[in-house]
Amino acid sequence: MISADLNRQVLGSESALGRPRAADFGDYLRTMNQFVEVEAIDHEPNDAEAVELATRCDIILACPPTFEERLRLNRAAVHAGIPFIDAAQWGMTGTLIVVKPGETACLECLYPEPPPFEEFFPVVGAISCATGSLAALEAIKILSKTGDPLWGKMLTYDGYRGNFTTVQLQRRDTCACCASLG
Amino acid sequence: MPAMKIQISYTGRSYQAASLLPAEITLDDGATVDDALCLLKKDLSDDQQLPGSCLVAVSGEHIGTLTNYTNRPLRDRDELILIAPVAGG
Repeated sequence: MISADLNRQVLGSESALGRPRAADFGDYLRTMNQFVEVEAIDHEPNDAEAVELATRCDIILACPPTFEERLRLNRAAVHAGIPFIDAAQWGMTGTLIVVKPGETACLECLYPEPPPFEEFFPVVGAISCATGSLAALEAIKILSKTGDPLWGKMLTYDGYRGNFTTVQLQRRDTCACCASLG
Repeated sequence: MPAMKIQISYTGRSYQAASLLPAEITLDDGATVDDALCLLKKDLSDDQQLPGSCLVAVSGEHIGTLTNYTNRPLRDRDELILIAPVAGG
């Protein structure tokens, strides 16, 4: 349901409060571009459904609130052999991780166990939007084969200090998700 | 013994802890990541300690998490980067 988290939901509006958000967001996207096909899914996919959805995709961009969901989408992307972009925020910090399955670290290489979930966490809408835009830019670069995507890197933006940091991520040779890919 | 300066960068979840950490520390020549982290832990109380899943990197190279990282020697002017896991959507 669309709720009080509208401060970072650029597809939502107060006029739709109380209605399922997936369908409403889908409708809004269709009004922005009549040539875009939107398939709105109103539930969190389980492992099997995530894998099935991934086989129909060219890339996955993940921005759910829990690591369980992010790791599920990461596994689906690795299984399907498609790029995976993880975008996250916490307060004044945004992070971006870009995965090329079998060649770079995946999300599970970094977090073999999901870090603890926080039900309540601070959200600065500008950080969410900036991080989401950077994720979209990486997706455009990858799909259009333009520029140098942030393959295997974590980009962090510290809004407090105005600092960008880039870290080259290492694969974990015991990763249950991607180690078998060589 | 010669000393080296190590820059500290901490971001991510619980960034309030960052205000408790120094921007730079001084270590003896030959000191390692272990030495730097031990020094930083002393600046935080028990309930302020960084999460074990916090990523650790040295001058842009990821070396693991606080609970499982590859210890290595530090060099003068290295940047020790700590990134607490971020998952907000």
